[in-house]
Amino acid sequence: MSDELPEAFDLVVMGTGFTESCIAAAASRIGKTVLHLDKNEYYGGDSWGSFSLDALCSLLEKEVSESSALRNGSYTWHNVAAVDWDTDAPAVWTREAILAKSRRFNLDLCPRVLYAAGELVQLLIRSNICRYAEFRAVDHVCMNNNGEILSVPCSRSDVFNTKILTMVEKRLLMKFLMACNDYGEDKCNEDSLAFRGRSFVEYLQAQRVTEKIASCVMQSIAMCGPNSTFEEGMQRTQRFLSSLGRYGNTPFLFPMYGCGELPQCFCRLCAVFGGIYCLKRSVDAVSMDSQSQELLVSCEGKTLRAKHLVSGPGQVPINPVTPMRPNISRGLFISCSPLGNEEINKGGGGVNLLRLLADGGTREAIVIQLSHYSGACPEGLYIFHITTPAQSEDPIADLAPFTSQIFQNISQIVFSSHFTLYSPQSVEANALPLSIHCTSGPIYEIDYDAAISEAHRIFKELYPNEEFLPRAPDPEEIVIDGEDPSALNEHSLPEDLRAQLHDMELNSTENQ
Amino acid sequence: MEDYKFLFKIVLVGNAGVGKTCLVRRFTQGLFPPGQGATIGVDFMIKTVEVEGEKIKLQIWDTAGQERFRSITQSYYRSAHALILVYDISCQPTFDCLPDWLREIQEYANSKVLKILVGNKTDRDDREIPTQIGEEFAKQHDMYFLETSAKEAENVERLFYEIAAELIGQARSKDGSAAAAAAAAAHRQSEGSGVGSSIGLASLSAKAAQSNCCGGGVSNGSSTSQGHAG
Repeated sequence: MSDELPEAFDLVVMGTGFTESCIAAAASRIGKTVLHLDKNEYYGGDSWGSFSLDALCSLLEKEVSESSALRNGSYTWHNVAAVDWDTDAPAVWTREAILAKSRRFNLDLCPRVLYAAGELVQLLIRSNICRYAEFRAVDHVCMNNNGEILSVPCSRSDVFNTKILTMVEKRLLMKFLMACNDYGEDKCNEDSLAFRGRSFVEYLQAQRVTEKIASCVMQSIAMCGPNSTFEEGMQRTQRFLSSLGRYGNTPFLFPMYGCGELPQCFCRLCAVFGGIYCLKRSVDAVSMDSQSQELLVSCEGKTLRAKHLVSGPGQVPINPVTPMRPNISRGLFISCSPLGNEEINKGGGGVNLLRLLADGGTREAIVIQLSHYSGACPEGLYIFHITTPAQSEDPIADLAPFTSQIFQNISQIVFSSHFTLYSPQSVEANALPLSIHCTSGPIYEIDYDAAISEAHRIFKELYPNEEFLPRAPDPEEIVIDGEDPSALNEHSLPEDLRAQLHDMELNSTENQ
Repeated sequence: MEDYKFLFKIVLVGNAGVGKTCLVRRFTQGLFPPGQGATIGVDFMIKTVEVEGEKIKLQIWDTAGQERFRSITQSYYRSAHALILVYDISCQPTFDCLPDWLREIQEYANSKVLKILVGNKTDRDDREIPTQIGEEFAKQHDMYFLETSAKEAENVERLFYEIAAELIGQARSKDGSAAAAAAAAAHRQSEGSGVGSSIGLASLSAKAAQSNCCGGGVSNGSSTSQGHAG
């Protein structure tokens, strides 16, 4: 078999970040020929990957160019005293002991949690891409209550069992959540009329909830700020409630082995449908063939023809280079002990979510605690991912109001690192030929709604009449190399498939 | 509902053109595909086998062509129970690449994964790699070794049945361990179960798509849960 690339493609995708991978998979899925490249030797583009500890350190040390997404990187090792946890972990986590396990870490540049009934989960299920991934149900959604980290009751039974609320508060909270749940079904109900156009905080106050319940709801359930509107708050609360009871105790999931797995799942689907993958390959120049209107992509001495090109930030040399701006400030910490008490870290530590507020609720940060149950770190160690919208070019300063809330008592941090993720300033669509589309890189959000909607938008611009990631067939249904489906007749099937076929036929006759 | 006790994920790696897809298709479908095209449309194939009186479901994953430019996703290796590294006995370069593959396996696969080295295409009369050389390489790197011919159906059944038997043995000897639990994940609802469990979304998709659901399929099994990579 030739190791030469074909010369013409329907679509060339540069960068294997989440959005680009989503588009590549969608195009390949509807039969387009796709070449997917990345200048890096790993999947995930510049912002969406997961890394071993060694690899993360070298990324943070790397020299920055004007197209770099990761900047202002720094890391520090701290000396830590002996640890007393009931695990097989060494008694003392020295820098050497941790680096020896470097490959056991999957450290995300851009960690997220997924709503169990959210856009991404729905997309993964609808497209059958879910078979490439596993998830960990987030164990606790937490809140910071005057310096104490508490588990926010999510389900009905949580509300009844929680020790952090009084009986009266429990009733109030249940009543409030039920009201949110029913909101929208009756457009003319009193509340929705009375609070239209007002703030969510006002609504909460009118429900005469206690301060603790208010912060429960504002911090962790609705995840709102003081300026959020009533409608926004209700929507967010509903989003939270509708994801409950699907998997585990909270409405959230975290991908096993880190969020860097997710773009790879889309890439796998793209490849299964014939997409060609080349990592560590960069594009030197892109020009337009004025006759055929095709793009000429020169890639390591070879010229490829493409009808369309999709590029992640910083992957393609398009002039002038779009200026980058600070977008997300990140802190990544490794610790010997988890945040919060034993209750929220049963069995060696939970995968927990904590939303922190600062500056009177106008600024927020998301903290994701990962234990070894996430597959992202060795047993006995914990990762704290802190993410906040960038205010400046100094991630340490941006995160200080949040880290000071949770790390005051923790002397167990062995490794701390900070960096900023940059994104291109709004891409001038009309500055580019119509056949080139640029993705914008990660924005600050919980879940992947914005990224999916961008991928969906670009896909629709490329292929307006095609379905976005329809369900991929199960292995049982696959017909290989364009064989006539009847060739795969009952007798050539292994026994279990034959039985399934039989069942299917039975079902279909029953349904008729 | 299908009835099986264990579900094992087996992944194949090796250079393009060594016959990975042919091995899978020979085993799962009993046929040898003509033509030399790259693998398109094949995700994984499933076959239920019976070993020692137990029904075992094998989920056999192919590379989807990503090996051509050495761009296999790490996620491909995740939670594999066994890994088959294939070379072509009539093609020296495919053997010379084995150390590169081993490096990649070491980097991304579970360190306890069962590794099998397979020299394929024994039907060819232009052999370049003597059996003994293959055997020695396997021994050095702590792998099982077998030579096969997907074309002549030689040793193909044996390859997969031995893997199944070995994996059952492992699962039983580590009674109650993560591996055993993982392998037996078949019918267990992973929702809300033990502290260390992970979730495959497919269990929900099976529920969601009940109308067009066809008696089991992979939906239930794909939630192989391994607490952490070895």
